[in-house]
Parts: sequence; C-alpha cells; structure tokens
Amino acid sequence: MLWILFYSFGYKPDLYHSIATDRLSLGQYKLAASSTFFQTFMGTLRISLTGTALCFLIGFPFAYWLSVRVPPSRRPIFLALILIPFWTNFLVRTIGWRILLAPSGIFAGVLHFLGLHSTALEVLDTRGAVQLGVVYNYLPLMILPLYVALDRLDPGLREASKDLGAGRVRTLFKVTIPLVSPGIIAGLLLVFIPLSGDFITATVLGGAKGNMAGRMIYDQFLVAQNWALGSAMAVVLILLIAAVVLFFGLIAIVGRHIIRYRRRVELAIAV
Amino acid sequence: MRDWVRPLLGMWAIAVFLFLFAPIVAIVVFSFNSGRSLEIWDGAGLSAYASFLSNGVVHSAIRTSIYAAIGSAIIATLFGSLAGIALARRPGKWQIIFVALLALVLVTPEIVSAIALLIWDVRLGESWSFFTNGLIRLWIGHSLFSTAVVTLIIRSRMAGIDESLEEAAADLYAPPFRRFRQVTLPLMFPAVLAGLLLSFSLSLDDTIISTFVSVAGSTPWPVYVFSAVRSVLRPEIAAVSTVMFLVTLFAVGVVALVLHQSESNARDITKTLTGEYGGNSRA
Repeated sequence: MLWILFYSFGYKPDLYHSIATDRLSLGQYKLAASSTFFQTFMGTLRISLTGTALCFLIGFPFAYWLSVRVPPSRRPIFLALILIPFWTNFLVRTIGWRILLAPSGIFAGVLHFLGLHSTALEVLDTRGAVQLGVVYNYLPLMILPLYVALDRLDPGLREASKDLGAGRVRTLFKVTIPLVSPGIIAGLLLVFIPLSGDFITATVLGGAKGNMAGRMIYDQFLVAQNWALGSAMAVVLILLIAAVVLFFGLIAIVGRHIIRYRRRVELAIAV
Repeated sequence: MRDWVRPLLGMWAIAVFLFLFAPIVAIVVFSFNSGRSLEIWDGAGLSAYASFLSNGVVHSAIRTSIYAAIGSAIIATLFGSLAGIALARRPGKWQIIFVALLALVLVTPEIVSAIALLIWDVRLGESWSFFTNGLIRLWIGHSLFSTAVVTLIIRSRMAGIDESLEEAAADLYAPPFRRFRQVTLPLMFPAVLAGLLLSFSLSLDDTIISTFVSVAGSTPWPVYVFSAVRSVLRPEIAAVSTVMFLVTLFAVGVVALVLHQSESNARDITKTLTGEYGGNSRA
C-alpha cells in the first residue's frame, strides 16, 4: 500500500508509460483537488453517507422484525432469503436494476399504470440510480450485523423496561438501541467503507452523470493509464473515509458523554 | 393500541424482500429474452441459453473463474487455518499487531487493495514472469482478503475449544502431527469447511480486484460481464447468471440444511448438559 503513497507523488512521463517517480511532487494532489475531481469526491461522499443512512433506516426495522417478531425456528429460512441475493453476483444484481429501470421497462410500466408518470422513465444513468443501486447492494451487509446484535439481546430487558412503565419509543431509544450499538457501528462501517470505494454500481447504473471516486480511480489506472494521478486519488479517498469515520466516531463519543452527564444530573436532582 | 406496529413491521419485511429479489427476478425472466439486447424484451425463447452453450469465450471465462476460486480458496483456507490456530493457541506480543493487520486488510476499500496489488504485480512481474501469469495473480489477489476472513473464523472456533483436549492427547503420547490430525483438525473442521466455502464464493463473486489484476487471456467471468456492460449487454449474460443463481441456491440450501441440523444438535446437547430441559421454558 505504501507504493500507492509513493506513486502518488510521481507523474505520468509520456503517452506510453503509466508511472515515473524520478521527480517527486505534490502536483498530482493539486490535480486531484481541482474542481471537477473535487466535485466527484463530494458527490461520492454524499452518495455514500446518504446510502449508509438509508441502509440503516431500511435495515433496522427489518432486523428488528427478524429477531423479535419471527419465531426462532423460522429465522434460518428468512436469513437464507437475505443471503441468497448476497451470494448472487454483485454485478449481475446491479445489471438486474438496469432491466427494471429501463426507460420503457417494468418500473416505467408500473408507474404509468398507476398514473404517476406518463413519459419515458429517465432514472437510468443518473445519480439517483446510483443511489438506489448502492442501497440495494449494501443492504444485506447492514442487516446481518444488526440482526446478530438484536438476536443476542435478551427479550427480558425489553419486558423489564415495559414493566417499569417505559413506552414503546422510550424502550427503543433507551434500552434497545444503546445495547445493540456495537452491531449498529459494525453495520455502518461495513456499509460505508466499501460503498465509498465502489465503482461497479456507478459504472453500471450511473452513466456519465453518476460518477463516483472509485470509478475515477479505475479510469486513471486502467483507461488513462495515469497511475500517479490514480494513486493520489486513492490516497485522497482513504483520507476522506478515515476523516468521516473519525468525525462520526468523535460525535458518538462526545454524545455518549453528554447523555451520561445529563443522566447523572437527573439522578442527582431526583435524589 | 399496541397492535399497529406488528403488521407494519411485517409489511416492511415483505417490502424489503421484494426489493432484494426484484432485480434477480428480472434477470431470471430476461434470460428467456430472445432479442439481441438484454434490456429490450423481444419475445420469449431459449436462444440465450443456446448461444451461451456455444460461446467459447463465455466458457473460458467461467473456467477461469472456477480455477481462480478453487486455487484461492485452498490458499486462503491453508494460511487462514494456520494463522487462526496460532492466534488462538499461542498469543504472543505480536498478536495485537497481527490482529491490527487483519483488521486493516478487512477495512481497506477493495479498490485500494486492487491498485496496490496491480502495482506489486507489475513491479514483481518485471523480474519474475511468475507474477505475469493471470491465474496466479488472481489466486494472490483473491486469497488476500479471504485469508483474513478465514483466520478470524478459525480463531473464534479454536477459542471455543478447550486446549485441555489437545493436552490430554499429548499426555497419552500422541506425537504433534498425530495430535493435530486426530484431535485438533476434527474439532475445527466445521470452521475449515465454512472458511473454504466462503473464500470460494468470495473469489467467484469478486469483480473489483479481478478487473485490476487480470490479464488478457485469463479473464474471469465477472470481468467478462463488466466489459460487456461497457459495450453491449447480451441476454446470454442473464442466462449464465440464472444457471449460476440456481447453483448458488442449491449450495446455500445444502449448507443451511447441514448448519441447521448441526446447530440444533449442538443446542440440544448444550441444553441436556446444562439441565435446561424442563426448567426454563422460554429459552
């Protein structure tokens, strides 16, 4: 991985070579930070943050349903049903969306039938399609750790909370969510990190408009053959991911301290 | 008052399943498309399956994929098992560093690993032609991630097995290799099998690393599909995917059945041992 760092200070010598490192400079970083590439990085960040949040919002009620409402004997069947799409080729699943979202495809037909949309559907090859695609592709990665965490939770704790007079919402936020937070963190990381580097979904569904950082790196390495710029972009991407993870990690730690402090104050007042 | 949440959650679950299966159903249905382009329906027919059976490029891509998956699964299981045993049984001062390295491998975005591998392959390929062989590149690339996964699986399995069993074998004068073969290996076998299957399917499914490291002539199946996305998608791709989907379905079914049976056995045994029968009825 250090080679990437080293190469990122190099340059592209001529049309037929992909890398030279006899002169080292920060030039590639300047290029990577230039406005067009910068916009793509920001777009990637927006897609990956929105995607992670949507995965959580869709995945949490589902994992809750699976671990609380479904009797244990039937859970393996539903888990297997989650795993089947997960084991189906990533690329092929994404191509499936191309069929569904095609301008005169199935979704367009359904929307037309419902009278919601009459002209040809223009979702394909936009940022919206990429957003949908990444949520779809990474949803199982969110559901599985959430399910494992929720499954380990003793149902007695929720019942105790109810017996002590806490409502449904209060039990969810004060008992369930704090106790499964390791699972939530695992799920968020498992979705966010690979999603940020994904270039397949963007290539299949994004066309020219839905570009993502992963695809930029891919283009620099395998199409433009400019390894120095590609390496610089990869370094920027890693730093960006690390920064986001650290940022939210800090927020979580500070938030937890504030909650604890407030609880202590409440207790002190009550006593 | 309390009953509106339950149907709502159920409906949500159904919606999630529909969402998860919609594109797969689309692929299966469109594999019977007799048109020239995958995305435009042009009457039902089996022409896609026929052309897949006669397309040599597709055959060689699938063959490469299977070879790559077998090779990298064996490499990953071998190294991962040994590393997992070492981590569980002889934790030393290097353990933290080693676990940190494993975690680093697991959290690195795949595209970064892929370009790092490409850079290494090209540099090493200048002096050793070994690294310009497409299949060997795929083996190395695919086994990297799955070795880390297998290591963690084996470690958690070995951590759950009492070392006194191995010590007992040693006390009974079993030499180290025999001890490993007759005591340790049978005990960790479910984890080894799980690791083998997992790394096999990870390799089969991998697109990102394969796209970067593969060389012309040994193109694995996902890379073939990926290049088709950039030119034209033919219904054959859906046909092959449908066949692969059925195979996966079968494999998942078998694994689930085996796991389900062994798990319920294990649960029964634990319950009997801890005298939980008759006592606590809710568990």
